[in-house]
Amino acid sequence: MRLRTKIQLTLLDNLVWVLLAVFFLVNAIFTPNFFTGKNQLNILYQSATLGLLVLGQGIVMMVGELDLSMEATLAFAPGVTILAARQLGLGPVVSILLTLAVGLAIGWFNGFCVAKLQTNSFLLTMSTQIVMRGLVLFLVPFSLAGLDSVYTFLGRGRVGTIQVAIPALLVIYLIFEFIFRKTIFGRRFTLTGGNRRASYISGINTDRVMIMAFVLAGLLSALAGLITAGRQNAVSNSMGENMVMMAFAGAILGGCSFNGGMGKPIGMLGGTLLLGMIDNALTLNGVDVNLVSATKGALIFVAILLDRVRFKLTARIMHQENMRKLLAAQEAQLSNGPDAA
Amino acid sequence: MTSAQTVQDKYIALELRHITKLYSGTVALDDVSLTVRRGEVHGLIGKNGAGKSTLVGVISGIVTPSSGEILVNGHTFSSLSPISAKHQHISIITQEPQVIEESTVAENFFMPLYAGKQVIDWREMARRASAILEEAGFPLDVSTRMRDLSISERQLLLVIKACYVENADIIIMDEVSASLSQKDQAILYRIIQQLIAQNKTVIFISHHTGELLQVCDRVTVIRDGHNVGSVDRKDLNMKKLASLIVGSTNYDELVMDDLSSMIRDEEVFALKDFTSYGKFQDISLSLRRGEIVGLAGLRGSGRTELFKSIVGIDPHDKGTLLLQGKEKRYASPAAACGDGVLYLAEEREAEGLIPIASIKKNITISILPKLSRWGVIRKNTEDQCADALIRTLDIKAVSRNQEISQLSGGNKQKVLVAKIMAHTPLVCLLDEPTRGVDIEAKESILDTINRELRKESCVLISSPGVEDLIKICDRILILYEGRIIDQFHRGQFSEQEIYRAMQGEIIHHTDEVSKL
Repeated sequence: MRLRTKIQLTLLDNLVWVLLAVFFLVNAIFTPNFFTGKNQLNILYQSATLGLLVLGQGIVMMVGELDLSMEATLAFAPGVTILAARQLGLGPVVSILLTLAVGLAIGWFNGFCVAKLQTNSFLLTMSTQIVMRGLVLFLVPFSLAGLDSVYTFLGRGRVGTIQVAIPALLVIYLIFEFIFRKTIFGRRFTLTGGNRRASYISGINTDRVMIMAFVLAGLLSALAGLITAGRQNAVSNSMGENMVMMAFAGAILGGCSFNGGMGKPIGMLGGTLLLGMIDNALTLNGVDVNLVSATKGALIFVAILLDRVRFKLTARIMHQENMRKLLAAQEAQLSNGPDAA
Repeated sequence: MTSAQTVQDKYIALELRHITKLYSGTVALDDVSLTVRRGEVHGLIGKNGAGKSTLVGVISGIVTPSSGEILVNGHTFSSLSPISAKHQHISIITQEPQVIEESTVAENFFMPLYAGKQVIDWREMARRASAILEEAGFPLDVSTRMRDLSISERQLLLVIKACYVENADIIIMDEVSASLSQKDQAILYRIIQQLIAQNKTVIFISHHTGELLQVCDRVTVIRDGHNVGSVDRKDLNMKKLASLIVGSTNYDELVMDDLSSMIRDEEVFALKDFTSYGKFQDISLSLRRGEIVGLAGLRGSGRTELFKSIVGIDPHDKGTLLLQGKEKRYASPAAACGDGVLYLAEEREAEGLIPIASIKKNITISILPKLSRWGVIRKNTEDQCADALIRTLDIKAVSRNQEISQLSGGNKQKVLVAKIMAHTPLVCLLDEPTRGVDIEAKESILDTINRELRKESCVLISSPGVEDLIKICDRILILYEGRIIDQFHRGQFSEQEIYRAMQGEIIHHTDEVSKL
């Protein structure tokens, strides 16, 4: 394959990072106070919660399903944990583990229903979402403030000037990038999402993969809940509200598709940062909060269009490359022809 | 002119004149002429790919012929459309019954017309539907929902709809009886008799020669896009019909290199009394290392069902499966795959490949653990594995990272075969590996199976055409209505005899068959 084709394909594959770079440059020049170290850290810190949700949603989308319950798990897992901890006098480390365990259990339940009972994931996770949000509103009518500093370390702790949440987010993304790029475990997600029946016949335990996707989503939501609770040093019943739509936006910008079988964590990170950067830049420019939200909505629309454009362009480039290869083979045959005769 | 037309009208329901249909590069129908008389049951038969379905498509208006003309009811057409076919009272019933599951029997009859003017008159509709069912001799409550009916009953209802509700003059039944139960078949034959008594015309397509001889007045045989002949029933018997369908072939040219010397006397795989009631029964067979065994049977004979039960996609009721002498029972393809028993699915797009994944990822899907250490895939090993197979099978692609969806049908099928080969399996169950591919790809796939897959494995292969099996198999087993009824060995292959055996005729004596 020619170098030019390779570059074209790589750029198309990582379109979100190209967009991010352009957006970054424009704002670095035109937006006041944007291009400062403090603001950049701020963007990363503000993106930490959403980043984890995008990753979880992206993994579920890889296997061709979706999870609406993530935003409720984000509030439910720490909410139940802190209530239990205060009743039973649990220590902070146990509380952290319990928070993650609750997220895992919810994810497993969702996954089990989708894989084994073949329920529709949209309807199922919609119902678990409503149930959990309702329970949180009932159980935590007022914010539970004053959490243990170990419990809030991930959310508000600092190493020097950097908030712990930032390296935590990046490390998690690195780990998942490795898993999905290099391991059998990760490969099976996109294969299952690409064609579940064919993967099953080819010897993949597809039910286990489906359950695993939801378990990871539940776990990442609980982790996001831990960070949110830590950041505000309290558990409130409105944590994570309406975030799931932004999680879809990030995942789609990052290259996931509702048909399943596609997506890379590194792309999802790009999607998250693009959303965070838009938020930040518009706020710095003094744009109204509601307009910021509308802009992000429009961006989702652009993302969907870009996805189609990317698909068509890739197909065209591959077709051209194919033709070039065929022509070269023909020419080689022609020039060899007289020699052979 | 007018008198000639009346004569034509009176005796001839449909005439095709010099119909030719070209698809890019291939001739599906070559100058086919055909006359269907009014009031007859006209049989249509031919091997897979002979051009039968194209011909049916031309008559029902789905396929536009490249040249030639169609005469119906005194009108001449260069081509029909589904709507003009309907205007000429031509109705077609296809193999796969398409119904709206939630509607009742009565609704389904009258859709989209319904009874009543503005408001649907449900009672009137039910009354008329009951009357029709009574006339057809198919007792059924008209308020039953379609989803509660068996495939056989749905199919029969579609036949009744075409014959009694739509009141067509020419009714095409495209392999309708294949999905009918024995009881419903009897009803179908009675309906056909009723139609003929009313001077209507039936074009009856079937793969079963026996059925054609029982039902039809005349039979037209299509072979390689030609009309080989339209023959009256009284001049036909099973043997003559089989010879018309198959034609004569030069076997020495057909057969690929005889590599039966590679067979080792080591039983790798065996089935004993393997049964799934209603699908297949008492299947016993034994495969030796290096052996290629063909499984020949008509659609519905239980081939695919047998394969799927072996690898655990579907359950089986009784019988044992022996792998290298050890008894096994697989609960899922994953378990079978782990033991080296691999299944190549008949449905390439739905069950075989992952269209948006790369060639490489599709080839290595079943062998990832072999290519990795501590669960991490070794990139170079995987690339080499994929490249080697792309070369062996001559898969035409830009690179190993190209998406499957961008490949041609033949190349897709090659990837499917490569996926099996990557595994170096013990047992290969290949369900129509040459389905829907061009001749070049077909030869290359069969050659690879013959040379490469033989080395370490034993192969059980089915194919849409007998000639593919004859090319590479050491033995051919005949599957008929879910049972193995006959066996042919290399050297005694005859396409005609195998074809007749597939129709249920006993060619060899039972004591020979029992030596499986």
